[in-house]
Order: sequence, then C-alpha cells, then structure tokens
Amino acid sequence: MNLYRLSVTLITGFFGAVLLLVPSGCGPKKGEDSEKDSLETPTAPPLISVNGELFSIPSPIQSSALLKKSGAKYSQELLNQTSNLPAYSNNFKKAVNLGIYGADLGYIIIYSQTQNSLGYLNAIKKLSDDIGVSGAFDEKLMKRFEKNMSNNDSLLSIFTSGYRSADGYLKNNDRNEVSGLVIAGGWIESMYFTCKVLKNDFADKNTVIRRVAEQKYTLDKVIKLLTPYYQNPELPEYTELADQLIELYHVFEELQAEYKYVPSTTDVASKTTTIRSLTDIRISPEQLNEITSQIDAIRNNLVK
Amino acid sequence: MIRNFSLALLFVLFSAFGAMAQCDTIVQSCEKHMTAKFISDGQSYRALLLDSETAEFQSTFYGDATYRISVCSSLPEGNILFKILDKERNVLFSNADQKNAPYWDFKFLNTLDCTIEAKLTPGMSKSGCAVMLISFKQ
Repeated sequence: MNLYRLSVTLITGFFGAVLLLVPSGCGPKKGEDSEKDSLETPTAPPLISVNGELFSIPSPIQSSALLKKSGAKYSQELLNQTSNLPAYSNNFKKAVNLGIYGADLGYIIIYSQTQNSLGYLNAIKKLSDDIGVSGAFDEKLMKRFEKNMSNNDSLLSIFTSGYRSADGYLKNNDRNEVSGLVIAGGWIESMYFTCKVLKNDFADKNTVIRRVAEQKYTLDKVIKLLTPYYQNPELPEYTELADQLIELYHVFEELQAEYKYVPSTTDVASKTTTIRSLTDIRISPEQLNEITSQIDAIRNNLVK
Repeated sequence: MIRNFSLALLFVLFSAFGAMAQCDTIVQSCEKHMTAKFISDGQSYRALLLDSETAEFQSTFYGDATYRISVCSSLPEGNILFKILDKERNVLFSNADQKNAPYWDFKFLNTLDCTIEAKLTPGMSKSGCAVMLISFKQ
C-alpha cells in the first residue's frame, strides 16, 4: 500500500471515528484553526473538526471556456452520447454521469452548439430524477432553458443553478457521497476532453497544457471529496474510482510547482481585489501522455 | 428516562431540520449577489457555525479569471467575516477591511490554491448557518 493510499485509509478511519463523536450541521465541514492568520479573536476560539475541510472544485465550464478561447475546435465525438443513458442503472453510475453530462452541456453551450443542448438537459433531468433530486431540474427550469436557447449566458446561468440546487439538496439530506460523485464526474469529463483536444493543433496549446498541469491542485481535492467513503464495503465502486484517481495523482505529484507571494491590490470602488501571487508549474510531454492515458481509461470506464 | 431521551432526540432532530431549512433560505437570499454576469460553480457551501467557530473552505481559483464570492447568514448583511489565505497563510483579502462586505470580486492573475475562512461576526450572533457561493465571469 503506497503512502497516499495509506493516508487516505487512515483519514477515512479518523473521519469515521470523529463522525460518531461530533454532531453535524447542515452538511458543513469545519476546519482546524491555525495559530496564525485565522479569524480568531485575541482569545483564540475553539474549532471543531467535523469532517475536515470543505472543498471547492472549479466548474468544468471554465475548462470549456479556456478551450474555446485558446482556439480549440468543437468536437461532438468527445462527449458522452446521451444514447448511453439507459446503461446507467445503479446510483453510482447515475451520479457520476450526472456530473459528466453537466460538463458536456457546459461544453456544448460554450461552443454555441445549442441544437444539441436539449438532449443533454433531458438526460440530466432523467438522472437527477432517478437519484432523487427531481426538484433541481423541474419543469419551470426546463421551460426557462427552452425559452433562452439563443442566449448562451442565460443557458449557462439556468443549468448551473439547477446543479447548485441539486448540490444543496444532496448536502441537506446527508447525501454528500452522491454530491461528491457528481462533482468528480464533472471534473473527470472536463479533463477528458481537455486532454483529448491537445492531440489536435490550435493556437494557444501551451495555455491548455498548463491548465492540465494545474489540475494537480484540483485532483487532490476531488480525492479528498471521496475520502470519507473510501473502502466502505457498501460502496465498492467508490473505492475503485478513488484508487484510480490516486494512481493518477502519483503522476501529478511529480510535477514541479513553485509559488511566490505577491501582495494583492484592491479597488474599493469596483469592489474588486486583484490577486497577484505567482505560480509556476511544469509538465513534460511524457507526463502529459501518462495523464491523458489514465484519464482516458477512468472516463471510459465510467461512461460505458 | 426513556421519555426524556426521546424528547431530547426529537429536539435534536427538529433543530437539525430547522438548520437545514434555514440554510436553503439563506442560499436563496445569497443568490441576489450573483448577477447575470456571473456563472455559478454549481455548488453551495454550507456550515452551521456555533459561537466563534471558523469554517474552512479549500478552493482552487484559475488564473486569468474573475470570481465573485458571496457569504450570507440568517442575520442582516455584514454579519460574516471571511478571509482568503494563500498556501503560506498570507492574507490575500479580508472583508473586515471592507466593512464586512457580503460579497467581493477577485481577479486572479494566476491559478492559486487558497483557503477561505468564514465565521460569524463576534457579538452579532451565537450560532447560525453560514453559506458561501462562488461564481465566475467568463
């Protein structure tokens, strides 16, 4: 058992013990305080660790937007076809493909291929109904979507609000394991089409390659999202997926990253702070190939 | 004894249910800060805070993107303090410096791993559901 996997196992056991001892709120994850730079009063308040920290995973839509901005062409073949929908018969497959179809719909809208969007939205509605979050993609949302087919910004806003409702519902009902799968599915799909697109030539490939390398930070959080359910005998597919992602993380672990703090600047009038700190991360062609190959296998196993 | 235990259990269940319902209402009110220019990241981050507890959110923000972070609770606006810290725990932003602003925009020049800490403003409340929403501009 390698060190990362061992730590995941230990954390899982620790979380299990903590969950038995500490009452939970409405799906929160509160972190340990730090001795410095925390929001403490001078008396250093107590902090309760319920389930580690809460993790925020960037939206897959941002990856699609970057692909378009970088000059990559749209490719329908990259998407998980909605004809695969009947194959998703258990909750694991339904949840993870809810995330995958969400990433696909974001890609479709970003590239203004809205003639394909309704099929994906219907697939999303079917999966969300099946896993018990029918309120998130209700008739009202579906009609709003149809009425705004010519406005990409509105379409993005409408369908992401559906995902936020679903996420909130799942967290409120103590179904964080499903919420985590939806998020993981979205991340895997956006990584899949980002890596695939890099096989083609387009204007600003280096920016996209860099974005792949930057997933080192995000993958760590995706794994941590799944950690509380790792090695749960009732959720074997979780463990399998987590193991695959941990294998992938070993490739990312080798990427060299540097960070330099630079003070931020704030424009009070526009309520905007510019974060100027610098990061640099390097990835070799061999590492990129390995990541592409592993993402390919993980994603294709999930959509079949 | 059993009756007392049952009552205590019911109290806990109702309290938890009330807190969950409270979180939903707060999410709805927090959404008003997410104007049409911003797209939701599809998630809602919730924490039930007691006294001076701090909720900690681990986030990655992509470079060359503008984000809006909105924080809300059941109390009037400005009752949540939030800070953004880098991985060396340098403070990149604190809304305490901006009159406890309930939302703020952040332009990230580079991709960064950050920690967001949030807590109720001391003296304003003993407990409550804290909600954070993250959205981005294309």
